[in-house]
Amino acid sequence: MGASILVSAISTAFGVILISATGYIAALLRADPYIGDSGTLAFVLSFLTVLLVGVAVYVAGVVTANTFATVVAGRTRRIALLRLIGASARSQRTELARQGLIVGAIGALVGLVGATLVAIIGVGAADWALGLDVSFTPVEPMLVVPAVIVALTTWAAAWAGSRRVLTVTPLEALGGSVEAPYARAARRTGRNVTALALLVLGALLLGGGIAYGLVSPTGVIISFFGGVLSFTGLALGATLVMPPVLRLVGSVFGRSAMSRLAAQNALRYPERSSRMAIGVVMGVTLITMFAVAIASTKAVMTAAGGGSMPDELSRVLDTFSAVMMGLVAVSAVIAGVGLVNLLTLGVVQRRRELGLLRTLGVSNAQLRAMVLREAAHITIAATVTGLVLGIVYGWAGAQSLLGSVPIDPTRPPEPTFVLPAVPPIPVLVIVAATTVLTLVAAVVPTRLATRVAPIEALAEA
Amino acid sequence: MHISSSELGLAARVSRLTKTYGSGAGAVRALDDVAVGIRRGEFTAIMGASGSGKSTLMHIMAGLDAPTSGSVWIGDTDITGLGDRELTVLRRRRVGFVFQSFNLVPTLDVIGNITLPFDLDDRRPSAIERARIDMLVETLGLGSRLTHRPHELSGGQQQRVAIARALATAPDLLFADEPTGNLDSRTGREVLALLRAASREHGQSIAMVTHDPIAASHADRVIYLGDGRVVADHRGQSAEQIAAFMLAAEQGAVA
Repeated sequence: MGASILVSAISTAFGVILISATGYIAALLRADPYIGDSGTLAFVLSFLTVLLVGVAVYVAGVVTANTFATVVAGRTRRIALLRLIGASARSQRTELARQGLIVGAIGALVGLVGATLVAIIGVGAADWALGLDVSFTPVEPMLVVPAVIVALTTWAAAWAGSRRVLTVTPLEALGGSVEAPYARAARRTGRNVTALALLVLGALLLGGGIAYGLVSPTGVIISFFGGVLSFTGLALGATLVMPPVLRLVGSVFGRSAMSRLAAQNALRYPERSSRMAIGVVMGVTLITMFAVAIASTKAVMTAAGGGSMPDELSRVLDTFSAVMMGLVAVSAVIAGVGLVNLLTLGVVQRRRELGLLRTLGVSNAQLRAMVLREAAHITIAATVTGLVLGIVYGWAGAQSLLGSVPIDPTRPPEPTFVLPAVPPIPVLVIVAATTVLTLVAAVVPTRLATRVAPIEALAEA
Repeated sequence: MHISSSELGLAARVSRLTKTYGSGAGAVRALDDVAVGIRRGEFTAIMGASGSGKSTLMHIMAGLDAPTSGSVWIGDTDITGLGDRELTVLRRRRVGFVFQSFNLVPTLDVIGNITLPFDLDDRRPSAIERARIDMLVETLGLGSRLTHRPHELSGGQQQRVAIARALATAPDLLFADEPTGNLDSRTGREVLALLRAASREHGQSIAMVTHDPIAASHADRVIYLGDGRVVADHRGQSAEQIAAFMLAAEQGAVA
């Protein structure tokens, strides 16, 4: 439950601070007599706010759903006992969802209050630093919006995550029931068709945007919608896309029994792992996309400028990309909490299996290595997917924006093909960050796993 | 003078073994000064009612639980002072396990489960071990199932796989904990016959914990536990004799 409070507080605070920051920047621009009221900039800012907060809320929702699945797994016996006595599965689930609403509300409130205080201090600090008095009060009714959205999504996520309550039978209280080795991925034909349609449509628009970009920079607008649609399709169809990637990464781990065990565990609950992996994918994709788009843009501008580009422009682009990456990193933190949850759930649900392994002679060191490999499995699959997607999206954005910019102004205009420039530093930062994420996420589940005493697990038979 | 277990012809033994759970007024003495040896090459059944201490005895003998006092030997190794790491390796190399249920790792196929102990040691089975595994697979009729996952097997087949895994390393001692508890009586008889054959034909030492007189009647020797003590030790018992003894012990306890 602590995880749910944490992620709802983070995502609310993120929303509140972004709204305050964009509001402040808009006020700053209004106060500037030379720029005045810039409608376009305000629109771009608010759009980015919605996009970034949307990603954060989505990832937080996935984390909460997984948290509640963890809670249900830990409470299966108790739920079964209540079912045995006569409680209905539905009432049990409603109760859990209500806890979700409470947890979400607490988290949202903490995030709202904390972030509002930060915003008030921040505005004061910014005024002081800029030597201005931008008459901007961060406390406004708009700030409640992210809090309400977060509380409601937490409620919905708790409901979604506690689906397994419905499958707990009263018999499980009596013990002796054998769990199915693999959860069958629910057949969600409707969702998968929608996901596929969005993917195809998005890809077509991306292609169209790139083609139109060869004659006009406005191609980037078409590409933008193509990107949004295809990425939404990807998130929606996570259970279609991620399992093959997970399988591929798992096969790299080798053939030893412990490696195979680690590789199989992510595929045991494909829906859960895919959803969590896509949370990490989102963060990595967005960061890579900004990095690649800006590096590619700079490369073209430099070529067009005859080997150099204005320092000013270069600095603006760098600042923009740094700010965007920092903002996306918030979602990555939330995804980290989720990864801890996912692995913990895996360990909690496999207590008996871990006990059996210990009995048969698996050492604690081997168990630790297995949990670490499970964590690495998800993060490697997510990072690789995110890097590839980010490079594709970033290149598509740069190509459709700059396809019509002539590199050599002296020659007759011809379409420019932008080469995707992959800047090494952001990629290294991403790899380092996901490595740290893997190590940190494995700590708690490892401790839980190595604490399983063989006979304790056998006694639960 | 110290006499080693192997000189006594024992695969495992315990001496002055006591196990107490809890402390103070709520303390429960699960095992009370037990001394017993499991003879090499024999199929020994450990019988007793629920709470007699038979499972605790097995757990301690197998290095899964630590005694409160007393000593435990597997072969000539005194395991009482061993740490978790040594006990883990000991279980992996020198002890085999067959449980009532949930014997197999669900994500590994049949051959993966059978060779798991070697895999954990980071080595491939030697030629001799390979031959033994092939022989086990054939005798247990698992040849066509090697790539199946446990959930695709019947309860009896799962127990066969567990037996194959337990025998693959030719352990000093095979522990079986109610191995027929989840099986229908015909399949249960087959499993018991397999255990008996392993003991008779290949000299495998087996200790089987059970409360089922029919299962115990397949053993060469039956040790009875009651209230944490060894109350009797018989050889070549029929199911009727075992049941009669159990009943008499129960009635004696009531009287």
